[in-house]
Amino acid sequence: MITAEALTKRYGATTAVDGLSFTAPPGTVTGFLGPNGAGKSTTMRMVLGLERPTSGSVTVDGRRYADLPAPLRTVGALLDARSVHPGRTASCHLLALARTHGIPRSRVDEVLGLTGLETVAGKRAGTFSLGTGQRLGIAAALLGDPGTLVLDEPVNGLDPDGVLWVRQLVRDLAAEGRTVFLSSHLMHELALCADRVVVVGRGRLLADATVAELLERSRGAGLVRVRTTDPAVLAEALARAGAEVAAQPDGSLHVRGASAEEVGAAAGRVGSTVLELAAEAGSLEAAYLELTSGSAEHRAGAR
Amino acid sequence: MSATAELPARPAARSGPSFARVVRAEWTKLLGLRSTHVVAAVTVAVTGLLTHLSASASSGDPGFVATRNLGDALPLAFLGPLVLGVLVGTGEFSTGTFRSTFAAVPRRVPVLLAQAVVTAAVVLVVGVLSVGAAVLGILPAAASRGTTPDLGNAGVPQLLLGTVGFLVGAGLLGLAAGALLRRAVPALVAAVVVLLVAPVVLAFAAEAGTDPLAEYDPEHPPPATVLVNTVETFTPVGAGSALTNPGGGGLDGAPDLGAGGSALVLAGWVVVPLTAAAIRLRRRDLG
Repeated sequence: MITAEALTKRYGATTAVDGLSFTAPPGTVTGFLGPNGAGKSTTMRMVLGLERPTSGSVTVDGRRYADLPAPLRTVGALLDARSVHPGRTASCHLLALARTHGIPRSRVDEVLGLTGLETVAGKRAGTFSLGTGQRLGIAAALLGDPGTLVLDEPVNGLDPDGVLWVRQLVRDLAAEGRTVFLSSHLMHELALCADRVVVVGRGRLLADATVAELLERSRGAGLVRVRTTDPAVLAEALARAGAEVAAQPDGSLHVRGASAEEVGAAAGRVGSTVLELAAEAGSLEAAYLELTSGSAEHRAGAR
Repeated sequence: MSATAELPARPAARSGPSFARVVRAEWTKLLGLRSTHVVAAVTVAVTGLLTHLSASASSGDPGFVATRNLGDALPLAFLGPLVLGVLVGTGEFSTGTFRSTFAAVPRRVPVLLAQAVVTAAVVLVVGVLSVGAAVLGILPAAASRGTTPDLGNAGVPQLLLGTVGFLVGAGLLGLAAGALLRRAVPALVAAVVVLLVAPVVLAFAAEAGTDPLAEYDPEHPPPATVLVNTVETFTPVGAGSALTNPGGGGLDGAPDLGAGGSALVLAGWVVVPLTAAAIRLRRRDLG
């Protein structure tokens, strides 16, 4: 279990992580979502003790990472596929890590098998593609058979087979009762494998909810498109009911704040014939974009 | 496919990183790099070759004693261990390996100390092999004069031991510079300035500061020479030459530190930057 409490990290005048609180409970895949520069990687480095919080705290199973007696057996991490010396072979890299914790060589062979790296075990990591490097990073994370996994963008650079494999792997790991904390900047990726999603923007918590809840939220903010014989009358009726109505040049209305059923019923009450009625289905991408709008670090044309 | 392979439950204190385990891990890492083997082989080969050339060149001199050439390759041979040390010190940071390494050993400083241990061990082996290569290198020149070099000769054992000690010192100095500066080029430049450029500058300074026409009296050297010689005694190279020539009595006008004192000076050149590197490692974030 990972617990962050009012976690804050400043670099001079820049605040990378700003009072972030969340929990990643065991037995679930917790997605960690946000645009580039939202503070995801900084947060993960603080979980791993590579950076110290300016204030607040983050613990794994109730302990600071630096206080863990056997870190690799408690937390497995993939922070960056380029965390390997390009001159070392995959098995040498894993063996060196294993030796710090007295993990037997047989376990190295085992994780090489698990990640499908047997054939390249003796090749130098510098020759690996990004996808193979990711697999090696995942192998290193699994080495100590840890109860908590921290994976920063694990599907980055993987081929479609690899992506499916990672999704299944994280689901399996959570099903075994482990804590899986997985970052991505792609909502749909997390929708496919995460139970819960922690959304951050500019270092702040924007949402901490289940995937279903996020979807729900986006539906509520959804748009209903309606075309009737009498748009002006319907618009007035909907506005009276508290909905936000925008007349379109083609004579249709865009309605926010009312469901498709409510719009249809309102049309019936004022006696106008509905020619077309459609609810723009809420999507996770839409929910995400709405949550993070205004907090993206890079936006086209402006910064 | 499951990720679990139940490891036997062990008490946490025994399953975590101990210093011995970190040393083993660093040993695996050091020997797992091709550069380590290349630098080691080149150092041994260059030492043997240079000693051979130097001994052959002077074998025609009257009163030629082959063992006097045993230390001739040292001014270049120490570059090998130096580069090796710099590579160990910077390797974590130039490649991003530090993320894996310090996630496994969050106390961090044991990694640096383990790197010092394994670097010293590898350079010790390289040093002994280099000295062996140097001995082989003088054999043809000695044979050409119909003699066999006497390694028990006065000063020879000290020269051989001092050479190995200086090479180990150079390797650790490289490690310290690398660990402190974290990038190979600045670390190598800093180490080369201290070890190669500084002695040349000091030699020029000594010449510039003295009257070229005055008669030189080793018993009463001019003040500029005393100053420069004293500074040189406390440089790594000065300490290294005193280490290989313990009976030499030191440079004119400068204190004679002897073998022990010179070893301490050399150790200081290792310990100070290594301590600074440890403090930086312990206190600062690892981006």
